[in-house]
Amino acid sequence: MRHKIALAAALLAGTMLTAGCDQIKQVTGGSEVAVEETEFPERVFWGDTHLHTSNSVDAFGFGVRLGPEEALRFARGEEVTATTGMKAKLARPLDFLVIADHAEAMGATKALYDAPRLLIRDERMKRWYDLMHEGPAGSQQAMAELLDARGRNDLPQALTDADAAAERTQSIWKDHLKTVERYNEPGKFTAFAGFEYTLMQGGNNLHRNVIFRDGIDKVGKVAPIDPTYKNTPDEIWAYMEAYEKSTGGKVLAIPHNSNLSNGLMFELTAPGGGPMTAEYARRRARLEPVVEITQIKGDSEAHPFLSSNDEFAGFGVAGWELNNLLMQEPKKNEMFAGEYVREALKRGLLIEAQTGANPYKFGVIGSTDSHTGLATADEDNFFGKHTGNEPNALRANEAQNLGTGKGRFGWHYLAGGYAAVWAKANTRAAIWDAMARREVYATTGPRMTVRFFGGWDFKADDLKGDWVRAGYKRGVPMGGELAGKPGARPTFIVSALKDPLGANLDRVQVVKGWVDKAGKAQEKVFDVVWSDMGGKRKAAGGKVPAVGDTVNVATATYQNTIGAPTLATVWTDPEFDPKQRAFYYVRVLEIPTPSWPAYDAVRFKVKLNPDVRVKQQERAYSSAIWYTPTA
Amino acid sequence: MTLRSRAATLLREPLVHFMLAGALVFAVLSGRPPDPGERRIVVSEAVANRLVERWMQSFRRAPTADEIDGLIRDYVMDQVYYREALRLGLDQDDEVIIRRLRNKMVALAASEAEAATPTDAQLQALIDADPARYAAEPLLDFTQVYLGSDTPASRGAAAQALGALQGGGAADAYRQPAPIPATFSRTPASDVSAVLGDDFVAALGKLPVGQWSGPVASGAGLHLVRIDRRDPPPAPRLADVRQKVENDWRSAATQKAVGEAYVKLLEGYDVVIERP
Repeated sequence: MRHKIALAAALLAGTMLTAGCDQIKQVTGGSEVAVEETEFPERVFWGDTHLHTSNSVDAFGFGVRLGPEEALRFARGEEVTATTGMKAKLARPLDFLVIADHAEAMGATKALYDAPRLLIRDERMKRWYDLMHEGPAGSQQAMAELLDARGRNDLPQALTDADAAAERTQSIWKDHLKTVERYNEPGKFTAFAGFEYTLMQGGNNLHRNVIFRDGIDKVGKVAPIDPTYKNTPDEIWAYMEAYEKSTGGKVLAIPHNSNLSNGLMFELTAPGGGPMTAEYARRRARLEPVVEITQIKGDSEAHPFLSSNDEFAGFGVAGWELNNLLMQEPKKNEMFAGEYVREALKRGLLIEAQTGANPYKFGVIGSTDSHTGLATADEDNFFGKHTGNEPNALRANEAQNLGTGKGRFGWHYLAGGYAAVWAKANTRAAIWDAMARREVYATTGPRMTVRFFGGWDFKADDLKGDWVRAGYKRGVPMGGELAGKPGARPTFIVSALKDPLGANLDRVQVVKGWVDKAGKAQEKVFDVVWSDMGGKRKAAGGKVPAVGDTVNVATATYQNTIGAPTLATVWTDPEFDPKQRAFYYVRVLEIPTPSWPAYDAVRFKVKLNPDVRVKQQERAYSSAIWYTPTA
Repeated sequence: MTLRSRAATLLREPLVHFMLAGALVFAVLSGRPPDPGERRIVVSEAVANRLVERWMQSFRRAPTADEIDGLIRDYVMDQVYYREALRLGLDQDDEVIIRRLRNKMVALAASEAEAATPTDAQLQALIDADPARYAAEPLLDFTQVYLGSDTPASRGAAAQALGALQGGGAADAYRQPAPIPATFSRTPASDVSAVLGDDFVAALGKLPVGQWSGPVASGAGLHLVRIDRRDPPPAPRLADVRQKVENDWRSAATQKAVGEAYVKLLEGYDVVIERP
C-alpha cells in the first residue's frame, strides 16, 4: 500500500505543475449587428431582469432542472417542459431577459448533487445530498435548512470555500455567456449577461442584480463575485467600477426586495450609521439608477403604515411585512421607512437638501425573481416562486417552509412583475441606456402602455396632436429632471393604454413627494384621470368612487364592462411651490381581476383558506420626474 | 509541455471524459458488469490517481500522505460494502441509487448531441419544415380609426364612420382619443401585437388592400382599418437565421438523442404492466 501512495503523490506533483499552463480559450463573437435606433422611444419593451435557473444554489436545491437555455427559449415564447413535467408557454414572448443567477455558491448545489458521495465529509452536506436525491419534497427541506444556515453565517466550510467557488463559477459563467450570446438577437430579442449579488447579513435582504451592457468579449473577462460577509455594497460597486475601467464596458445594479431588508435598503444615514456623504450618494445614484419595486416576494411601493391616506397602498405586502427575508428578525414599525420605494424617494430629497446629492434618484422596474427558469407574471399562467410551487392543488394554501415555516403561505407570492423599458431599439445598448436614464416603469404583471412627460407648457390640446413628439421636444420623459422656470407650474402629459389581453383601467394617479418649509418630507396622491369621470364617478370630497367589481371568483373570470381601455390627461400641479424640491410619479390601477389562487381553485377544484387573496387591482408604477429649485 | 502534462490536460477534456464514460457504458451494456463475486480489490495506479484528482477538485490543494492513506482506506471500504450490498441486493429498491444512475445515463446520451455540429443541409431542412417560424417578421402598413370599447354604441358609430370613409369623407368626429398612432408604416407585426394584440394582427391579414373596412376588434376596442400595402411573405434565408435554426437544431437533437437512447434500451426489455 505504501508503494501506491508514493506513486499517487508523484503523479499528483506532475498534475500540479501543469496547472499553470492551461490554455484559456478565447471566445469571440457577440458583436451587435447594426440595428437602427428610432429618433425617440416609440415602443415599450417588456422583460424580466431577475430570473434564476438551475445554476442558482437555491433554485437547483428547490428542484429546478431547467438551465439558461430553456429559460431563454421560454422567454422568447417557446414551449418548454417545466421541471415538474407540465408544458409551459407564455401567452406572449418577452423582448428581453436577464438571467440573474446567484453569484454566491453558483452551481454549488448542482456540484453537491453530482458529487461522489464518498467525498462528502460534512454530515449536513451528506444529509442535503441525500435529501436532494430523494425528490422534490426532500430538496425543499434541504434548501430550507441551507438558506437558514446561510442567514446565520453557518454554512459548511466546503460550500463557502472561496477558491473552489471561484473555479466553479468561472466554468459555469463561461458556458453561460456562450448560451446568452447564442440567444441574443439584436432587433428581436435581447439576452443580457448578469448575475445576482446576494448581499445579506442575518437575513436582511440587500440583494442586487448586476446587469452588463456588453457582450462576451468584455463580460468574459470578469466573473461574478460573491459578497463576503459584510453588510455594505462597497465591494460590488468597486467591482463594477473596476469592470468599467478595465474593459471600457458599462454595468449597472438593481437592488430588490427592499421590503425584506428590515429597514436597511434605503437608510437616511450611511450604512452602519453616521451621516451619509455626498460622495456615497453620487456613487450609489450612478451605479444603481433603477430599483425593482415589485416581484413575486411582495411589492415595495408603499406601505399603509407610511402612507395612511393612500387607500391603494399595501398591495402585496401581506406575509412579507412580518419579518426579513429568512424570517430571522421580526419587523418593527420603524423599519418600514427604509424599505418602501415612495419613502426612499422622499428620503432622497431630504438627503439631497443636506448634502447636495440624492442617493435615491432611481427609476423603477418590476421583475419576477422566479426560481423555476420560467419568467411568468400572468395570474392565469403562474409557475410559482420555485419548483416546489409550480402549479399544484395545494400551493396557495401551503405554509412556506423557508427556514421556520411560520407566517408565510403560498398565496403571499405575487404573480408578477415585469420591467417595461422605453428604448430606441431592442438591443443591449438601447435597453441598458434606457435603464441608465431611468426611462422605465414597473407593472405587477399586465402589459399596459404608460407614458409620462413633464414640462412647463403642456396644454390639454396637445393630446390632439403628436403629443409623444411634443413630450420629448418640450419636456422630459419619466426618469427625467425638471429645473425651475420662473412664474410657471410644472405640467404633465399622462397616458395609459390597457394591456391588449388584460383588464380595463380604473384610474391614473400622480404621486407627489416634496420637502416642506419645515424641512419635512410629505406625500400626496392625486387622482388625475379615471373611467366614467363625467358620469357616475364624479369625485366627491376629494375622493373618486370605487370603480366597481366584476370578478366572479367561482369561475375566476371578470368583465371589461367597467373601467376604460385608455385614459389620458394633461395635469398641472395645483399645489406647486417653486422653492420646494419634489418628485412626481404615475400609478395606473386596473379594475379588479382574479388572483392566481382564484385561477388555481377553479383549475384544481380546491377550496382556498378563507384569508387567501382571490382578487386584486393590478397596477403600473412609472419612474419619477424630479423637480429641483434653481438656487 | 511534457508528455505527462499533456496527458493530464487530456484527462480534463470533456470529450475524453465522454469517451471514457462511453467505454464504461459499453462494458456495462456488453454484459460485463463489475462482478460482485470478485474477491480481489485492486487499488491500481489509475484508481489512486483518480481518488487524488477528485479530492483536489473538492479541496483545492494536494492531500497529505495521511489523507491519501485515508482516501485509499475509504475506497477499499466502499468497495467492500458496495460489493457486499450488491450481493445482498440492497441496490434493488434504493430510489437514490436508481435516480442517480438514471441521471448519469441521460447526461451521457445528451452530451453527444451537445458537442455535435449540424450541416447546412440539416439546418436548411429545418427551415423547409417550418418556413413561417424562420421568416423575417412581416412589416405592416395600415391606417386606423379607434372607436373606443366594443359596445353597442361604438358598433353603431362604426357603421356610420365606415360609411363616411367609404364615401371619401373623414371620420374624425368618431375617432376616440387613444395613445395609438393613426398610421402604422413599415411596423413589425410584433410591435402592433404588443399594443393591440395578436388577434388584431391576424384579422389584418384578411382585409382587402386600399379600402376602409371593419370594425376590427383589438385588445383596446374597435377600429376601422385601411390596409395601405401588403407584401408577399419573405422567404427565410439560412444566412439570416443561422443562429436561431442552430439553437433549435441543438435543442431538438439533444432531446431526440436522449429519447432514442432510451427507446433503444427499452427495446431490450419486456415490460409487463399488471392491472388488477
